[in-house]
Amino acid sequence: MIPTLPATSRKTALTKLSGHRLINSPAGLAGTLWLSAIIIASLTAAWWLPYKTEDQDFTAVLSGPTAAHWLGTDELGRDILSRIFASAAETLGTSFITVIVGVGLGTLLALAAANSQRGEGIISRVTEVMMSLPGTVIILAIVGAVGTNIPLIMAILGVLISAGIYRVILGQAKSLQNQLYVDAAKVDGLGPFAISVRHVLPGLATTIVVQSALIFAVGLLIQAGLAFIGFGPPLPQPSWGGMIQSASQHVYDAPWLMVPTGVVLALTVLSANAIGNALGKAAHATASHLPSAAIRRKRAGQAVAAASAAPPVQDAPEAGKLSVRGLSVGVDGGTPLVTDVAFDVEPGTVLGLVGESGCGKTMTALSLMGLLPTGVAVTSGQILWNGKNLAAATDKDMDAIRGRDIALISQEPMRALDPMFTVGYQLTSAIRRLRSVGEQEAAAEALSLLEKVGIVDAKRILKTYPHQISGGMAQRVAIALALSGNPRLLVADEPTTALDVTVQAEILSLLRSLVKDTGMSVVMVTHDLGVVADICDHVAVMYAGQVVENGRAASILDNPRHPYTLALLAADPHANSAHDMPERLATIKGQVPQPKDWPTGCRFAARCQFAGSACTVPIPLLPSGTGAGLVRCVKADELAMEGLAWVPTDVPASHRLDIIEKDMA
Amino acid sequence: MATFVTKRLLMALATVLVVAVLAFLLVHAMPGSPGAVSLGAGASQDAIDQLNQSLGWNDPLVVQFFRWLGDAVQGNLGNSLIDGRSISTDLSNRLPVTASLAAGATVLSAIFGIVLGVTAAVRGGLLDQLIGGFVGLLVALPAFWIGVVFVYLFAVQSSVFPATGYVPFEVSPQEWAMSLALPVITLAAGGAAFIARQTRASMLEALQQEHIRTLRATATPTWKILYIHALRYASLPIVASIALQFIGLFGGSVIAEQLFAMPGLGQAVQSSVSTHDAPAVQGVVVIATVVVVAVNLVLELATKFLDPKLRAS
Repeated sequence: MIPTLPATSRKTALTKLSGHRLINSPAGLAGTLWLSAIIIASLTAAWWLPYKTEDQDFTAVLSGPTAAHWLGTDELGRDILSRIFASAAETLGTSFITVIVGVGLGTLLALAAANSQRGEGIISRVTEVMMSLPGTVIILAIVGAVGTNIPLIMAILGVLISAGIYRVILGQAKSLQNQLYVDAAKVDGLGPFAISVRHVLPGLATTIVVQSALIFAVGLLIQAGLAFIGFGPPLPQPSWGGMIQSASQHVYDAPWLMVPTGVVLALTVLSANAIGNALGKAAHATASHLPSAAIRRKRAGQAVAAASAAPPVQDAPEAGKLSVRGLSVGVDGGTPLVTDVAFDVEPGTVLGLVGESGCGKTMTALSLMGLLPTGVAVTSGQILWNGKNLAAATDKDMDAIRGRDIALISQEPMRALDPMFTVGYQLTSAIRRLRSVGEQEAAAEALSLLEKVGIVDAKRILKTYPHQISGGMAQRVAIALALSGNPRLLVADEPTTALDVTVQAEILSLLRSLVKDTGMSVVMVTHDLGVVADICDHVAVMYAGQVVENGRAASILDNPRHPYTLALLAADPHANSAHDMPERLATIKGQVPQPKDWPTGCRFAARCQFAGSACTVPIPLLPSGTGAGLVRCVKADELAMEGLAWVPTDVPASHRLDIIEKDMA
Repeated sequence: MATFVTKRLLMALATVLVVAVLAFLLVHAMPGSPGAVSLGAGASQDAIDQLNQSLGWNDPLVVQFFRWLGDAVQGNLGNSLIDGRSISTDLSNRLPVTASLAAGATVLSAIFGIVLGVTAAVRGGLLDQLIGGFVGLLVALPAFWIGVVFVYLFAVQSSVFPATGYVPFEVSPQEWAMSLALPVITLAAGGAAFIARQTRASMLEALQQEHIRTLRATATPTWKILYIHALRYASLPIVASIALQFIGLFGGSVIAEQLFAMPGLGQAVQSSVSTHDAPAVQGVVVIATVVVVAVNLVLELATKFLDPKLRAS
């Protein structure tokens, strides 16, 4: 197995608070502007308001907007504009009390719970109870006890709300608490309080700000609601809820009165929500496996256009043979992920796509089924299968091919099966659909398929849910599911990576016997050269989105031509037999470059022990001299002639430290 | 499963007890003794003291609480300080009103919320944005404001629905439904928005699951992936949000009850808080808690039943 570096960054719990997100979202920007405007206007109200809150203008009772009263007047001829802004500061300020108490207490509870398991048990129980209470009734009972003391009531509301905040923050606080650097800090002797403040709290910043904005909106609405039912500030002091209440008394004779206060309140709530949503928007959402209808329509249109633009399929391969020509896959924005990949898969043979993580193997494999993630698409090239170009096929065309012609097995069997349905349901419904048979026939076939993939108590397994079976068993079920349409080609995306070593061997031998029995062909994505040696007839070694070497598996394993293949073999503990096992296993320094960093010349040059000045120009894929093999290296012949090997290198001490620091950052 | 249910039942009982104690203490913190509240402003201090004595107000708090609890478990929540009517009877008349409101609004908001949320997640594009905007607006508009606008539109401008009042189901099922229409729609608006957001997020999350790719790889029709598999996966958080909605509406209906003159529990809290009617406040807090905790328990069990992992354990 190749020692791959943890190249792709895990979903980090730590997200930075970014003001850019606020400015980049139109709604967020508008919300910020409105909220700032209303805060400034309310703080300076005393200087610019045209009237005092109690000034009565008997010449204009219940008037609509006029030059003298821009937003009209109420039943006592009081100016609405003045009353809205005179009460704004107190309304906003007291709502902020709820935010401080609610979010503050919720955060403290979450930090405490993340710190100790026993604490979490108790706090979670208590907050659960708090959340299952009729909050409004309790707040009203509290109003009965303490009177209409708005700041105090808003603070108590904050206490009630903190339970919900705790729930939101807890998960994130726990994952931050479990980060390796927190363990390191503990080893350094940092106390729990210092860890919470220094290492956990900063990571929660975004969530805290988002929740604050949302709770501010909730506070505003509840406060207005209380005032509406008569528990606002004592009369005649104006309040937004109270003004809407008195307006509702005049809905028959002066409906306009409802508008100004309602709109100001709604806009303020909208603004707070918009700010929260803009800041809280996940920066990198996981791609959907079934894009929305709008995206699917767009894609179907593109596929039709591509099909009509593409040259007609010439020298179509024989039935059952897969021929990939000049395939490029890229992100919609333009970044290429796979460039100019070509290979053939003869019926009844197994092709291995080999390389480190991030080389485009999985993208290549998924493009064969038209199942690229949302936002990723085939940008050029052909995938020829039974006279059709699958690269230009619509989703509808592909539905006739998926399962029936080409089937998929994926890396993590547990996640590939639907957790909500039994194995039997998933299997029989696929068989019914793909073989057009009845219920009973499908049930019988499901049983025999499970037996075929080596499951002994198939009857029992049919009744289980995926979480009730082991990983190896789940992969057998997933293989049975893939076989349910009698496919001619199986796309297997690292089918053994997530399994135990002994189970890996069983699954491989199952696949081998299936190939022999059914005559289907397999495209096997793997980073394990042991798997290649075990099962593959042909190999395409991929690096940074390109095929760098391909040919017969046996000849490539015995006589690798590309330095990358050389390096992979040198780094594989299984490829080196026990007696000549070197003292130090070879490594490949550095990481697979990100697609945006791909050089124009040889993409492996930066990590290659043999790179020279000739490697800076684009390198073509040329015959390697061994059989029909091809290799993408200008130095291939030179290396072969001199019999050079990839040598293990010592990692300098300074470099080692560097890696540790990078991991902790 | 049996131990789980027992545990939850005990927990629910404990919750109600804790709330009963809190309500008791809260009521005792209310300004004015029961005698003063009951006899009104003009009463002499002697008369007030005498009434307080006979009501047991001067007994130790613990004695008072257990006396109240003993009566309460027998269904007697005491008498109103204002007009002396039995609180139990009064609340049992009000309970159906609030229950109709909360249940109706929960069902309506669940239907609209799920349809809107699923549509937004599934259709995407412009429709998603339009629904997002509409939902955002519904969340921001206070229920009482929406309610007044509804009154203006449907009762003042065109008298489709009665503006106020409640007709019991036994009197006339049709008029009962008509009298509930506006308050239920008013309460459901915000709830539908809340459920729509949760549904959209859960559907999108479901569609990110890897098993969706397996379903597509076996040529499962799109409608089946969306409405059988993804919706089933998303159902757990959606049901949880509906439960939260009901809790919020039960008692949260006070605004609608006030606005539409519905004689429900919310109105009872509002008026008894205004008049400092201590035993009435205490009674209504406890009854509302019992109902909410019970409904919550049922919905929680339903959620467990929806999840195969929890059902099996």
